[in-house]
Amino acid sequence: MTIIFLLIGLSLLVALTFLAAFLWAVRSGQYDDAYTPSVRMLFEDEPELRP
Amino acid sequence: MAPTQWRPELCGPTPLCPPVPVILESPATDLACAHCGDVCPAEPLRLAELPFCCAGCRTVYELLNDNQLCTYYALGERPGLKIKAVELPGRFDYLASEAVQAQLLSFRSAERGRLTLHVPQMHCTSCIWLLEHLPRLHAGVVEARVQFLRKEITITYLLADISLPEVVQLLASVGYEPQITLAELGAQPHRASHTLYYQLGLAAFAFGNVMLLALPEYFSFVEDLQAGFGRFFGYLSLVLALPVLLYSARGFFRSAGQGLRQRHINLDFPISLGLASLFSVSTFEVLTGRGPGYFDSFTGLVFFMLIGKWVQQRTYDALRFDRDYTAYFPVAVTRLTPAGEQSISVQELAVGHRIRVRHQEVIPADAVLRRGAGQIDYSFVSGESTPVTRAAGDLVYAGGRQLGEALELEVVRGVSQGYLTQLWNNPAFTKDAAGPTLETYANRAGRYFVALTLLLAAGTLAYWAPRDQATMWRAFTSVLVIACPCALSLATPFALGAALRVLGRHKLYLKNAAVIETLARADTLVFDKTGTLTDPTQSAVQYHGRPLLPLEKQLIATAAAQSTHPLSQRLARELATEAVPLATCQEYPGQGLSATAASGQALRLGSAAFVGASASGPEGTPETCVHVALDGELTGYFTFRNVYRPALPAVLTALSQRYRLAVLSGDTDAEGPRLRALFGPAAELRFGQSPADKLAYVAAERALGHTVVMIGDGLNDAGALRAANAGIALTDTLTNFSPACDAILEAVELGRLATFLGFSRACLRAVLATFALSLCYNAVGLTLAVQGHFTPIASAILMPLSSLSVMVMATLLVRWAARRYQL
Repeated sequence: MTIIFLLIGLSLLVALTFLAAFLWAVRSGQYDDAYTPSVRMLFEDEPELRP
Repeated sequence: MAPTQWRPELCGPTPLCPPVPVILESPATDLACAHCGDVCPAEPLRLAELPFCCAGCRTVYELLNDNQLCTYYALGERPGLKIKAVELPGRFDYLASEAVQAQLLSFRSAERGRLTLHVPQMHCTSCIWLLEHLPRLHAGVVEARVQFLRKEITITYLLADISLPEVVQLLASVGYEPQITLAELGAQPHRASHTLYYQLGLAAFAFGNVMLLALPEYFSFVEDLQAGFGRFFGYLSLVLALPVLLYSARGFFRSAGQGLRQRHINLDFPISLGLASLFSVSTFEVLTGRGPGYFDSFTGLVFFMLIGKWVQQRTYDALRFDRDYTAYFPVAVTRLTPAGEQSISVQELAVGHRIRVRHQEVIPADAVLRRGAGQIDYSFVSGESTPVTRAAGDLVYAGGRQLGEALELEVVRGVSQGYLTQLWNNPAFTKDAAGPTLETYANRAGRYFVALTLLLAAGTLAYWAPRDQATMWRAFTSVLVIACPCALSLATPFALGAALRVLGRHKLYLKNAAVIETLARADTLVFDKTGTLTDPTQSAVQYHGRPLLPLEKQLIATAAAQSTHPLSQRLARELATEAVPLATCQEYPGQGLSATAASGQALRLGSAAFVGASASGPEGTPETCVHVALDGELTGYFTFRNVYRPALPAVLTALSQRYRLAVLSGDTDAEGPRLRALFGPAAELRFGQSPADKLAYVAAERALGHTVVMIGDGLNDAGALRAANAGIALTDTLTNFSPACDAILEAVELGRLATFLGFSRACLRAVLATFALSLCYNAVGLTLAVQGHFTPIASAILMPLSSLSVMVMATLLVRWAARRYQL
């Protein structure tokens, strides 16, 4: 049953990765504005008109 | 729509029969402007068959059309913003100054600059689209990003291609002039605090993992697993729980400590006590090998309570509740020096300086008028939108907006020493802003909770001491552990957070959830008159004098439409007839206008002196008058009287049954009888109140033990709004200025004030009911605890169960209340 030490260690590692991902997402400002991106993604992509 | 009523025959000058008022209605036109959606005049401007209400709107349309940006009009229904008729050259010149740029720009390199501007006008998807496509309009703009909820736009531009004044000019040219005021200077782009998210994430991570590790403890069939790994799991849980104690739960400990330092026990004190004992008991059990401890309950509690905080913290980012006069005053003023005009910052303004204030600019300091005809609109101060006339030599108070020609003023008092701004030196403004003005139920409950817990814990010690030493300690610590009033602490945030959103949907925006509790406990409502009870955009126009012929009416309406003066505009709107060709039309600022019709008929419209009327006509009437003379003969005069908001009688009837009502008006008591009829005999009516008087009245009422809610709109109510337990600022458009307050209510919803207050009371009852539920859980827990039966598994079931049920019940009760009040 000592494999449990390894398994728990691995599962903690996975969980820590998710925690780190969450902290990174907060830090990079993804939680600052939860509204505008939802509108922006619906805008039509238009061809570049500037010469 | 009904045809315009115009029955001058009813207001004949017969002495026996006083003039009968005729209230006119707005015109009916079915053409909507292609840009802003406003009603077009009878002969709209056209461009490619599309109607436009004014040249400004057409210019914007042309600009967007030329740049293939007409998607703007496809995304939303009439998204355009009406362009103010007057464009001032050099209005943004102050932005070129190095000092201003240093404060505004958040980033600057040799070739690029970046800044964040507040654009309160943005309101829809089209706005986002257009603003983010600014680079199409000018190659110098590299990127534009909108933060819609905060109504902010971050613009990156190339310094070589476009200057800051040009960037702002560009925004203004499409109708989105940013708001740059004294208060916003130096404010860096809004950095939201991420701490709560970090704390929440950490607590969630620890909660999930500790719960998994604690699971074997709860099931007897994995006993051998527990036997082998129990200690390891225990240590691991301790390691996981430690950052939760040190980082996630920090806010509770800090708040409890702050309360203690002010000799005040708040709800966070028993929470901290419970959390601390929970953690220390668990650590002790793990280290001595007695058991797994309560780490799962501990991390779970912190997680749930942080969710409560997060729910409560949601606020309206775009609204500012803390604005003072600096948010309204301009950043820079034009100073006149012997060397010529010079743009200086308002803070540098000193007594004796000569300044120039142009059309639409705000007077930044109390000053003496030296040159020019002052037509000053004090609507932001008093709510009264009819301009006040000032002549050379008069003292002009700060806060008014000049309409018409440029003025030359000499500053007599510094910006912060003015008649109006002195309000902010009052102790009401210097007192600790964060300090709660009302003892909340949660804190009061928390105090009883502490007393009860400590009493029970001592009782447990005393009971078990002679009987069983081991049980004594277990029971004692269990009582402290179960005493953590986490369910109690969740009731308020969830109930009031839900209520905050319900009220927000109905255009009452609260600064925070605690305001609901204050509103629910209010017993005195104090109203400002002008702009709050009266509608500044409407007035009842009455004509007194000899009947006018239809042709004369047309002439008056056409001439009045040429002027930008608010009274002329109102008159034109009320008369609204077909235009007649004018031969001449000349406006004399501050006096009136004269016009000649193509038929040769001459009209003079304006003040008594201008028209040549003796002052005898409307003497004694408090209303604003506009006199009319046709071909040199006086025909009569129009009066403009503020009208009360239509919803007022009904809402006052509902309110007067429950609340003490008062009106504080800065005007004379001419309106006294009408107000008395509206408010009933018990109401307190005070007239001629200065801003300081209003503040003093509200403070006195509070000193008598009343819970006061002040409802006002202008800067002159700022003191009273601040001094009241809760100040509600009324606004006709959210983008307008509203003084510092606890809540912002859109004026159209004033009629529902009684419903809002009733709903607040229902919410408070919901909180109390939820308190009762959570106390039941605590009673069960305590019963187990004093007997020494409070095991980790009992805790692991009871704690999440109580937390979750309290969250659900609080939310459901508030929803039910909202439905009952039809909100």
